[in-house]
This record gives sequence, C-alpha cells and structure tokens, in this order.
Amino acid sequence: MLNISDGPDRNIEVHKFYSGAVFGVSLLALVFQAFLHKYGRWSELIDLPLLVTIYFGFSRRNAISGMFLGGTIGIVQDALSHDNPIGMYGIAKTIVGYVASSIGGRIDTEHPVSRFGLIFLFFHFHQAILVITQRVLLNHSARFFSWQQLVDSLVTAAFGVLLFALLDRLRRSS
Amino acid sequence: MIDLIFRRPIFLLAIVVMAQVMLLAYQIKGDHDVRLIRYWAVALVTPIERVGSWSMSKMGGAWSGYVGLHNARSENNNMRSELDQLRIRNAELSSRAAEAERLEAILNFRNAHPEAQLLAAQVIGSSADPASHTLFINRGEHDRLKLNMGVITSEGIVGKIVEVLPDTAQVLLINDKDSGVGAMFAASRTHGVVKGSGDPEPHMEYVVNDEKVTEGEAIVTSGEDHIFPKDLPVGTVRGATPGNPFQVIRVLPAARLDRLEDVIVLLTQQQVVFPKPAVTAVASPTPQTASTTPGTTATTANSAGPH
Repeated sequence: MLNISDGPDRNIEVHKFYSGAVFGVSLLALVFQAFLHKYGRWSELIDLPLLVTIYFGFSRRNAISGMFLGGTIGIVQDALSHDNPIGMYGIAKTIVGYVASSIGGRIDTEHPVSRFGLIFLFFHFHQAILVITQRVLLNHSARFFSWQQLVDSLVTAAFGVLLFALLDRLRRSS
Repeated sequence: MIDLIFRRPIFLLAIVVMAQVMLLAYQIKGDHDVRLIRYWAVALVTPIERVGSWSMSKMGGAWSGYVGLHNARSENNNMRSELDQLRIRNAELSSRAAEAERLEAILNFRNAHPEAQLLAAQVIGSSADPASHTLFINRGEHDRLKLNMGVITSEGIVGKIVEVLPDTAQVLLINDKDSGVGAMFAASRTHGVVKGSGDPEPHMEYVVNDEKVTEGEAIVTSGEDHIFPKDLPVGTVRGATPGNPFQVIRVLPAARLDRLEDVIVLLTQQQVVFPKPAVTAVASPTPQTASTTPGTTATTANSAGPH
C-alpha cells in the first residue's frame, strides 16, 4: 500500500499489485465470461469484466489508468460479441473505470457492505450508460430498468464482494 | 497542453469517450466493421478458451468418477481402493460413450445426407456479452468455412456463421435477437420467420391470428433464407397467443442451444436434396425428440439476420 498526496491535507491510499496481475485478471475475467456463457444462462447473471474494472479502479485510484483499463476491457468485450459495435461497452466501462478510480480515494471501498452497495450502484450506472448509448447513438430501444437487471445487480454485487476479497490477495505489501 | 490533460484527467476522459463515440459513428454510418479489433480480441481469447474447453472435457470424467461419487465410496470402505479405480474407469468409459453417441449422431446424419457437404466442429467458447447469443467453433477459413453457412446438430438447426477467422468461426444462434430463420409448420406448411428475442426461446413471427397453432406442433426450415435446406427441424411450438397483427408464438428449439458441444457446419449454400421422411405434425415438446427429421428439397433464398 502506498500513500500519495492529493491536495494539501489529504492522503490517498493506493494499492499496488504484483506485476502482470492486472493484465492477467482482466484477461481471465473476459475469458471466463465467454467460457462460462457456454455452460448455461446462470453465468449471465454476473458481469465479471465490470467487476474487474470496478475493483482495479477502487484499488489503484488513478483515474487515467482506471479509464484506460475499463476502456480496453469494454472494447475487447465488444469485439468478442457479434451484436455490439466496437465502443458500446468501451464507453460505458471507460466512464465506470474513471468514476471508480476517482471515488476510490474518497470513500471506504474496503468494507464488504460498502463494496456490495458500490457494486450495486455501479452496475446500474454502467447499465444506464449502455442504455443511453444504445438509444442516442444506435437508435435502439432499450429499457433503463427491468426486474431481471435488479436480480443481476444483486447477484453481481454479492459475487463481487467475494471476488474482491480474493483479488485483495494479489495486492503487494509494502 | 499534455501536462494540462494529465493534471485534469476529466479532459482525457472526454477525449477517450469522444474517440469511441466517433468510432461508433464510423461503424454505424458507413456500415463498416472494425474487423482488426475483433480479430485481435478473438486471437487473444480463443487460445485460452481452447485450453479450457480441452481441460474441462478431460476433467469431466475424473470429476464425476472421483468427487461426484465421494459419498457412495465412503459407504464401501473395505473395497474403496478397488472401487475407485473401477469408477474412474467407468466414468472415463461413460464419457467416451457419450462422446461416441454424439459423434454417432453426427455420422448418421452425414450418412443420411451423403450429397451434402458437412463438417463436424467443436464448440470452444461463446460471447463475453451476456445479451449476445453467439458461439465460437474450432473451424475457420482453413476449413473452407464462409459467412452465412448454416450450423446444425442432428437434432435441429443451431445458427449461422457470422465471422470467419483462420482457425475459428463465430456462430450466431437462432435465439439471438439479430437472428431470423425462414420457417414453416411441418404439418400445415404455413410460413413464418423464427426470430430471436434475446431470451432462450425464439418466436415465430408473421403467422396470422386465424391460423390454428397447437402446442407441440413441429416447425421446420422453409429454405427461403438461403442458409438452411428445407425441412430441417427448427423446434416445436411452446405456446401461442393472439397478437396484433400476428400471433405471438414461442418456440422451443429442437437443438439444445445452451448445451452445445459438437455441431455440424453445412459447407454448401447451394441446393441440397435431402431424402424426405415422414413428417410428424405434433411432436413431443422436449428438445431431443422434437419434431420432424430432415426432408425434401433444400434451400436457397436469402436473409435471416443482419449479415
């Protein structure tokens, strides 16, 4: 863990990771999302690439790296699907990565309850950006809310708390 | 300027988002596809998926033999060692038998249609987007695969090829919201289009309210889409309700789209003649026994889906 100054009176805790951890975890999240999709619909409840974007945003707390990581993950996710033009998930995850990094230093992102709440909110924030992109840029009719999305967000948040605890083990102690 | 951008990351965010908006606009306006990015992404992910797929199939036998039967084994402590070995062996054989059954079904299908050019393929992965119903198979350009070739199993149609890379191809399933298949009822020969709804069950559209539709009724391909030969099983009617202006007909796909391991690619888009067996009007609603078997003259006409 590293403390860096963010203005005259505030220090932000920045977590460092073992080399290759960010790339490896992001790649595995994309592979697992694609791979598990093959084994049934239950895997659709969880958005692994989104969880990884949020986690590294919270932990590294660098808005620039957060947005680029989110953007890259989103673009690869777009590229692996047939339906999406490149940039749809890219835009959403770029913004999520930026916002997660920006608020990571301002609020507690380590406690499981706050992690659950934040993942839940980020899920719907991500969904809202996707819907706006689909409606405004692609002229698709997409709904802002459905009960299925609510279930998905709760399952993703619950799974995210466990995943984040697992990913905490990849942090380098200083 | 660069210093300002890095001191105020919000400017950089605006630039990155704008760049992606322009990329989106470029793709939509000119109907361009950014194939290079898709190519890199697939090249990055599919080798790992291949390894995962291979490992899962190898581990499957050991899992069911060793872990899954742990409780049964503990009840037979005296013979545990011998029994474990036999069960592992048995699980291996069962796994091989199941694989052999799948391959036999493919072989039977192939023997039944010697005039059709078919290629067996293995499913190695799927889309990373939960809303997208697509699969990756282990055949590509090197195996003579081309866009819009039909993909089927011995039970029924699966989808069509929408992206071809050297050793991999992407298949758009019939339940994807962008998919559409020319179809008709096996008994009445009334035509319609089976379209994906994004849900596991596609819908058959453009069937008027006056048409009597029975649950369990078999639906087969009409051959009008230039992709699938005529009379291949699509699925069975799961339920039908009157709608405006057409009926809303839910279709249970004949092929198990959520449990695909081996598929067949129709290598030709030219006319194929299938021998016509008897057509069952009402079939069992279970996917494995659903509907008809392939029949008569095959195909050609065009356009199901956007590509």
